[in-house]
Amino acid sequence: MAGLTRTAGAFAVTPHKISVCILLQIYAPSAQMSLPFPFSSVAQHNRLGLYLLSLTKSCDDIYEPKLEKLINQLREVGEEMDAWLTDHLTNRFSSLASPDDLLNFFNDMRGILGSLDSGVVQDDQIILDPNSNLGMFVRRCILAFNLLSFEGVCHLFSSIEDYCKEAHSSFAQFGAPNNNLESLIQYDQMDMENYAMDKPTEEIEFQKTASGIVPFHLHTPDSLMKATEGIPYGLLHNRKETSRTSKKDTEATPVARASSSTLEESLVDESLFLRTNLQIQGFLMEQADAIEIHGSSSSFSSSSIESFLDQLQKLAPELHRVHFLRYLNKLHSDDYFAALDNLLRYFDYSAGTEGFDLVPPSTGCSMYGRYEIGLLCLGMMHFRFGHPNLALEVLTEAVRVSQQLSNDTCLAYTLAAMSNLLSEMGIASTSGVLGSSYSPVTSTASSLSVQQRVYILLKESLRRADSLKLRRLVASNHLAMAKFELMHVQRPLLSFGPKASMRHKTCPVSVCKEIRLGAHLISDFSSESSTMTIDGSLSSAWLKDLQKPWGPPVISPDSGSRKSSTFFQLCDHLVSIPGSVSQLIGASYLLRATSWELYGSAPMARMNTLVYATLFGDSSSSSDAELAYLKLIQHLALYKGYKDAFAALKVAEEKFLTVSKSKVLLLKLQLLHERALHCGNLKLAQRICNELGGLASTAMGVDMELKVEASLREARTLLAAKQYSQAANVAHSLFCTCHKFNLQIEKASVLLLLAEIHKKSGNAVLGLPYALASISFCQSFNLDLLKASATLTLAELWLGLGSNHTKRALDLLHGAFPMILGHGGLELRARAYIFEANCYLSDPSSSVSTDSDTVLDSLRQASDELQALEYHELAAEASYLMAMVYDKLGRLDEREEAASLFKKHIIALENPQDVEQNMA
Amino acid sequence: MVSKECCRNEIRAAIRQLSDRCLYSAAKWAGEQVVGIEQDPSNFTPANTRFQRGSSSIRRRFSTNESISTPLPSVGFSQAATPLPEEDEAIDGDIYLLAKSYFDCREYRRASHMLRDQVSKKSLFLRYYALYLAGEKRKEEEMIELEGPLGKSDAINRELVSLERDLSALRRTGAIDSFGLYLYGVVLKEKGNESLARASLVESVNSYPWNWSAWSELQSLCTSIEILNSLNLNNHWMKDFFLGNAYQELRMHTESLAKYEYLQGIFSFSNYIQAQTAKAQYSLREFDQVEIMFEELLRNDPYRVEDMDLYSNVLYAKEACAALSYLAHKVFLTDKYRPESCCIIGNYYSLKGQHEKAVMYFRRALKLNKKYLSAWTLMGHEYVEMKNTPAAIDAYRRAVDINPTDYRAWYGLGQAYEMMGMPFYALHYFRKSIFFLPNDSRLWIAMAKCYQTEQLYMLEEAIKCYKRAVNCTDTEGIALNQLAKLHQKLGRNEEAAYYFEKDLERMDAEGLEGPNMFEALVFLATHFKNHKKFEEAEVYCTRLLDYSGPEKEKAKSLLRGIRMAQTGFPSMDLEHFPI
Repeated sequence: MAGLTRTAGAFAVTPHKISVCILLQIYAPSAQMSLPFPFSSVAQHNRLGLYLLSLTKSCDDIYEPKLEKLINQLREVGEEMDAWLTDHLTNRFSSLASPDDLLNFFNDMRGILGSLDSGVVQDDQIILDPNSNLGMFVRRCILAFNLLSFEGVCHLFSSIEDYCKEAHSSFAQFGAPNNNLESLIQYDQMDMENYAMDKPTEEIEFQKTASGIVPFHLHTPDSLMKATEGIPYGLLHNRKETSRTSKKDTEATPVARASSSTLEESLVDESLFLRTNLQIQGFLMEQADAIEIHGSSSSFSSSSIESFLDQLQKLAPELHRVHFLRYLNKLHSDDYFAALDNLLRYFDYSAGTEGFDLVPPSTGCSMYGRYEIGLLCLGMMHFRFGHPNLALEVLTEAVRVSQQLSNDTCLAYTLAAMSNLLSEMGIASTSGVLGSSYSPVTSTASSLSVQQRVYILLKESLRRADSLKLRRLVASNHLAMAKFELMHVQRPLLSFGPKASMRHKTCPVSVCKEIRLGAHLISDFSSESSTMTIDGSLSSAWLKDLQKPWGPPVISPDSGSRKSSTFFQLCDHLVSIPGSVSQLIGASYLLRATSWELYGSAPMARMNTLVYATLFGDSSSSSDAELAYLKLIQHLALYKGYKDAFAALKVAEEKFLTVSKSKVLLLKLQLLHERALHCGNLKLAQRICNELGGLASTAMGVDMELKVEASLREARTLLAAKQYSQAANVAHSLFCTCHKFNLQIEKASVLLLLAEIHKKSGNAVLGLPYALASISFCQSFNLDLLKASATLTLAELWLGLGSNHTKRALDLLHGAFPMILGHGGLELRARAYIFEANCYLSDPSSSVSTDSDTVLDSLRQASDELQALEYHELAAEASYLMAMVYDKLGRLDEREEAASLFKKHIIALENPQDVEQNMA
Repeated sequence: MVSKECCRNEIRAAIRQLSDRCLYSAAKWAGEQVVGIEQDPSNFTPANTRFQRGSSSIRRRFSTNESISTPLPSVGFSQAATPLPEEDEAIDGDIYLLAKSYFDCREYRRASHMLRDQVSKKSLFLRYYALYLAGEKRKEEEMIELEGPLGKSDAINRELVSLERDLSALRRTGAIDSFGLYLYGVVLKEKGNESLARASLVESVNSYPWNWSAWSELQSLCTSIEILNSLNLNNHWMKDFFLGNAYQELRMHTESLAKYEYLQGIFSFSNYIQAQTAKAQYSLREFDQVEIMFEELLRNDPYRVEDMDLYSNVLYAKEACAALSYLAHKVFLTDKYRPESCCIIGNYYSLKGQHEKAVMYFRRALKLNKKYLSAWTLMGHEYVEMKNTPAAIDAYRRAVDINPTDYRAWYGLGQAYEMMGMPFYALHYFRKSIFFLPNDSRLWIAMAKCYQTEQLYMLEEAIKCYKRAVNCTDTEGIALNQLAKLHQKLGRNEEAAYYFEKDLERMDAEGLEGPNMFEALVFLATHFKNHKKFEEAEVYCTRLLDYSGPEKEKAKSLLRGIRMAQTGFPSMDLEHFPI
């Protein structure tokens, strides 16, 4: 707490600031003619001025460059007079032999300032206006120096010695660049070629000074204006470029590289100067974002940030936010004990009042601290580590405490977290936990199911967030609501009589509405954007860009395209969207994709995922990005066959396998299982099933999705192995589990599976009710694609009852055809085609000879699609049917061809081992 | 057992050597011990023995004379096998003496510079030691000069790097004595290289066991019993001192007491041992004994400030206002700028209910020593009293971060969070506290109360905690009563009766009375009557009759009911009687 009370505005004189002062002296020597000595042109003089302007601006940043770095930059700016500049700088430093010289130096500095009130200024004289940016900087330096005690001057003096010594030692290395520097040079030369087209005359010069730095040119005033405003020019440009052009597999790497490299750079920078409280808070905030975005992916090493935090803590023991960062870091590297420890420590020290901008500090009651936020964080931590019951306890307490202290903001967040917890974790019964505690709900809650509680909590949270104008929370609540509406049938909450009118349907319109409401965020987030954004860091980001090897080739001033692009970037920067906002909006796109997936529109799902991957891929957390990739890969597998899917999977694997709780492995297993089933390699399929089951945690109610998936696949494997009764058993128990944990959508697919099992086992009559039940489920949840495939199964069942039902089966099929052909995957389409052919063939009323073309056409379609899937069983059936038709038509050559195809598939089906070789 | 004479001679020589090397606190410690050895009455006149306690100056002159006159007799005990090192004083006499005087005048750098060309081990040690102290002094100054807006304190001892380099070079060449090894260990410890520091210190104490500073440094590096047991130490009576201290820090109080008891056989008048014993007894909560010990200690050594904060804690616990104020006054006059004195004054104000002033003095203590553990904890207590929970939590947390095994601070944290109505959050801290002190019933009871709060209402867990508390001999008798009540609440009358009986036994044994007693008696009487055990019920009823008030009436009606049930109306429904 002490850290907060101290003043935040300390401006200390540092060696770096003294070098800036020295340069300022060169720029504006007192009493000189129009152009001071070393400058050969006004442009050159201006360039130095602009450089100094950016330096002074970046002085508010947390890092200060070392002398060596400064000299490097000077080389770029100074062009032919760089040697003179650096010499002057180092000489000036070495002339500081005693503290008294410092005193004299600052006295001299006073001379370069013009007097405040003198109106008469000669035209050719260069005077620093005391009210200009540079003038203010000089004045601040002088003032800060004058405030120093003698001990302070001594410390400054000794730190100047260190500053120069470091530069000298690195000068030695500078002549002979080491390995990584060389690679930078290569980059550099690439850029240079680009550049050479525009300005061939300067080429030679640049070759000479090339030492790992990108050419830096800012000739025109307006481009400079923007540059000094601190556009991270190269970075943004780079992002735009890659995200526009790249396919999904190449994207996001450059960004990760860029940000990790800046981080690395900043971590390596050992001369860390402590700055004002606010600056460090802002800096730490950025770091926190970085941790969140990169999670525990390999590009981001948690130990490096750990050592950095250690260093920071040693320097600033009163800065408690370090503990919070450490907690975040540990959270993302899955270290439960350290995370817990640091979280508690942070809240013990800060009382929850440091660094949280949920509520402006004036409104919160400072006397009590805000420990309820600690509870909220603790609850979320338990949630993440998979302790739902503990998390629920803690969150319940958070609700109570925030009510007690009337911290509505925290309450809203807590309720949202709680509903999130309840909806994510399959908790069979919460009566013991929730009922007793949350008073607004208690009266009605005791008899409610978990789902209804989630609904109430969400509504409650949304209401509060809305009234408190917490835009981000409102948005994420809308998204959660959409998710809820997507998965659950709306029921009236309070009337529970048997005759109460119920709409047994989910409402896609309301889902859409909620998602849109969620996305409104982007238009009005600015009102609560963080107060911690700092001018300084942007300026220094720009300065850093000097060194970015992949920075943009300089665009020549007279090209027409430049204007629009810089304008765009400027706007882009001015409304720079906070990471959390763009994450939320990205999440809304992912949710859109998921909902379309469920409703059965493959193209829409794909489109939304692509939108997400291209626009939000760089700002999203790694787990979200992974999800998008996986969705796309799944799409590929369904619509393009396995070959493409596996190729894409390989790319994803490289990228995401290091992410904790990675779902890549899961998807891989799913794809392998699918493929093994299709190829008829049942042993492999069974093995993969077991592996899938092994991925899930053993705790009750956790990882429900995974468990359902595993047993669903087990039932399918058993079905493929023709062990019908066992398959039915598994499916039945699965249905019971789904019912217990209220997994409605899974219920529909389990019912369909049961129908399938009965169909295959030849009990078409038994299968019918299951198929019908599945259809009704699909209807109430608007699962159109699943419904189409259930209809197909139903039709198959009808046909299984005898050929006299052909007409009815065909009618059913034709009803479902638009959906199947428009959105269905390869397998479903092939099945539909084959079934259609089957119907025609078995229909006694129609003869093959009359409309053989329709039959053959659909069969050909089917076998083409099955080829891609390597689904031998169905493919064999298709070729068999084809052969039959050809036989009837008397086209013997084609019949033989089809027959040989049939044989090939049958052989492949019987020898699945061959296929297994090239599978892994 | 080592002979007293042998110990005495060893220490006497060691004192000279230690103070020759300006290791004053070690010399002071050794001096205290040599005075603590009981004098052989045959060698001394009664006048001497009268002076034995308190006026050490006379005897010290006497003893040093003696030790010079008699050569060191090596008595054939295996424990005292370490020979005293030879002195090479004659070689560097003058310069060394001058450097030592500089050192004594706290001109460390000058002393170090004076010895720059000397090669004897002794002057090498003093040279590096002076340099180290110079660095420390500069560090302290810088800490104040550099204090930035965020409590920045990156001041370091700038000499450490060169010291480590030089000392390790010396060690490689073998030109280092045990004192140098001690200094090397200290430097390594400051640099964070603990295992190497431990090795160096072990080597030092093995070759020269009388340097208590080395032992103390070694002790601070033994953070667990495993580390302690893994040390390869030669047997020497100094090791017993070390072990006693180390056991105490590792909260193995009985082992520590045993060590000190053994040592008291030799050093029967040692103030140090007495204070350490008192410390251990304090941890075992034997306040009366501790008070007596401290009183005696103060009689013998009235200007002692060390460990007196502990005495003030005892006085605080016993609410002895006058004695505490007397103690505070005395230490204030002795040395008011010692953290201990500030702490004692803080305790006094706290006892008087003037918490703001108490906090002020604890703050002053902390200013003098930022790592003064008990001041942080006590300040936390004060803030709790002042209902400033965030500040209390902050203070406790600092204590915990200084020493993570401080169960009082963990307990305080739990308490503070419980006060704020966050019992579930508090549980974590109570658990931590209990982890370090599993045998304290108070902690278990606090935890049980947490579970019992209406917010959590986890009675089963509360019962478990109370059971543990009972097993730890709960002196205040809360646990038994609560157990009985909880069982009663949960409708388990058998268990409730069992615990009520036990509670009754306890109260009888301690001769206590009160509402708890009535409650127990009424419950037991009713319970036994309901179960038709009329004799037991009668016993309890008659006991109740001894007291006046509503309980008496209740007992009467119960007795009536029992009579009725016994005679004639066995089938009569019990509910018909007013119970």
